[in-house]
Amino acid sequence: MIELDALTKSYRGAGGGGPAAVHVLKSVSCRIARGDFVAIMGASGSGKSTLLNILGFLERPDGGSYRLEGADLSLADDDVLSSVRNRKIGFVFQLFPLIDHVSALRNVMLPLLYNEDDVPDGSARALRMLESVGLAERAQHRPSELSGGEQQRVAIARALINDPALILADEPTGNLDAKSGGEILDVLQGLRTAGRTIVLVTHDRAVAERADRILLLEDGRLAAARTVVA
Amino acid sequence: MSRSARIARDAVASLRANGHRTVLMMLGVIAGVAVLSAVIVTGQGTRARVAELVSRVGLDMIMVRAGGDVQVFAPTADRGLTVLMESDARAIESDIPNVRMVSVVQNKRGINVVNGDRSVTTRGFGVEPDWIEIRRWGIAEGEFFSAQDMGAIARVVVLGRKIERELFPHGGAVGSTVRIGNDPYTVKGVFTENGVDAGGDDWDHRVVVPFTTSSRRLFERPYLEQIVLLVDDASKLRVTAERVRELLRVRHGMGPGKPDDFFVREPADVQGAALETSSTVSALLFATSIAALLASGIVIMNVMLLSVSQRAREIALRRAVGARASDIARHFLLESLLVVLLGGAIGAALGVIAAEVLALAGVASAHVTWLPFAAATAVCMAIGIAFGLQPARKAARVDPASALRHQGV
Repeated sequence: MIELDALTKSYRGAGGGGPAAVHVLKSVSCRIARGDFVAIMGASGSGKSTLLNILGFLERPDGGSYRLEGADLSLADDDVLSSVRNRKIGFVFQLFPLIDHVSALRNVMLPLLYNEDDVPDGSARALRMLESVGLAERAQHRPSELSGGEQQRVAIARALINDPALILADEPTGNLDAKSGGEILDVLQGLRTAGRTIVLVTHDRAVAERADRILLLEDGRLAAARTVVA
Repeated sequence: MSRSARIARDAVASLRANGHRTVLMMLGVIAGVAVLSAVIVTGQGTRARVAELVSRVGLDMIMVRAGGDVQVFAPTADRGLTVLMESDARAIESDIPNVRMVSVVQNKRGINVVNGDRSVTTRGFGVEPDWIEIRRWGIAEGEFFSAQDMGAIARVVVLGRKIERELFPHGGAVGSTVRIGNDPYTVKGVFTENGVDAGGDDWDHRVVVPFTTSSRRLFERPYLEQIVLLVDDASKLRVTAERVRELLRVRHGMGPGKPDDFFVREPADVQGAALETSSTVSALLFATSIAALLASGIVIMNVMLLSVSQRAREIALRRAVGARASDIARHFLLESLLVVLLGGAIGAALGVIAAEVLALAGVASAHVTWLPFAAATAVCMAIGIAFGLQPARKAARVDPASALRHQGV
């Protein structure tokens, strides 16, 4: 599903003055198989989010190679990458960003807006997604009327609407209390059981332990931590 | 629904969700377009008014008015000038080539016309039989008076349509007798409806008697208000008008340097003078509206730029779920365009209403065509694109990764 080889990424020193580049990813290699639920752990600033953004084609690596389903998209243009994000990848972010002025249902339908083809039964499909995260009865509520955990579940439903092969979650429980966080992890585990590939980024070991595998990102390199016995 | 249509609908939803911002951006456009379309509507009204006047007056008619000042429309009050005489008309008729027919015209306001217990005060005219052809008036009932009536100083009258309706609400005017002043007059005919003219004069609210009758019985004075004449060859109208002017100067004994005591009006004067009066004001308002529209464009650009900064995370989110940079650009450009187009539509409607109100108040003429709407649309598209492009570009260039990294909203 995912093949990373010697991936590198560095940022120029912020502020413009200092030319010192920060080498966030020095050489990241790994294989993630279809259906894997992988947690990437690392300290704050270790480059977890950068790695996740690269996996989601929101950022390009400086060097190395990244193959998704065998395809190297390093030369693809923005339109192609946008389409890949749209069809193959579902994002779940820490701050579960939703669009405030539309209902939960409309938020779930957001990716359909950018589908190449029209989805005539879009709202029915979105409702099924909300149902799958237990929020069908909240479909017409605005994000501000939902709890944090509910908002994050809306974001997961949104990530699922185009039936993506890969779910990328960046600290999905970071802003939630333990109970809501646990519910979100239950939902993600359910998705894994349904055959989706999930890559989760967290600094929280308890969260990471819900995954099948934990990879540690340290000093710009990725290393296997241990395999969780399911 | 196509991808573009879905994005357009989404842009509409964004605008609706941010009503205050949308209205703020729209205000300047509304004001600018309102003034612009009002200028167009009143400008076209003036043009239409003039065209109508020229067509009614005809391109082969010359009018000589007593008094030296330029008078395009009829004076608003009787002026009691004593310079133009019937002999002037006869001299024009006999001495100047290219003159087909001539009629003297006297008129007086405050003429009281009575039928039984109905009475009306109106404007009376004393003219010659050819007048009806020179002025291209028509007779709806009965007939116009003849040379015999002139010779007999007959007490006959032809009524304007409104006078006829007021005095004879049940019809039967022709052949009846009305009292004008202290004398009975036989109604010889009724004019066809003519409407209100460009100067606000109601052509249906008047009565016309033979010139002999008016000068000797009704007004009891020889002086004329006008001489009207038709030329044979309209292409030589200007030369003929100049000859009329020269002849009258000689007849009125005016030496070099002395101003005319009459005014020779030809169709070109009507057009020129009427258009000139409104064009200065129009130009000023036009400039104002363009300035307002440019200012509104700058407001829109800045509000949109600010909005792009505030919505960087929303943009990043949209990019993450599959929006292309071009989709984002389109979304923001559409927001700007929709604001100006909606503002333009409201402004155009307000401008047309304002012009109609001015017209009702008698301050201006209004003539509504597709032009203000087409102009508003074109101007708004131009402004929307010119000032919406930069925010749209900025939105498209938002880097989703860094916008998501700065997670503080």
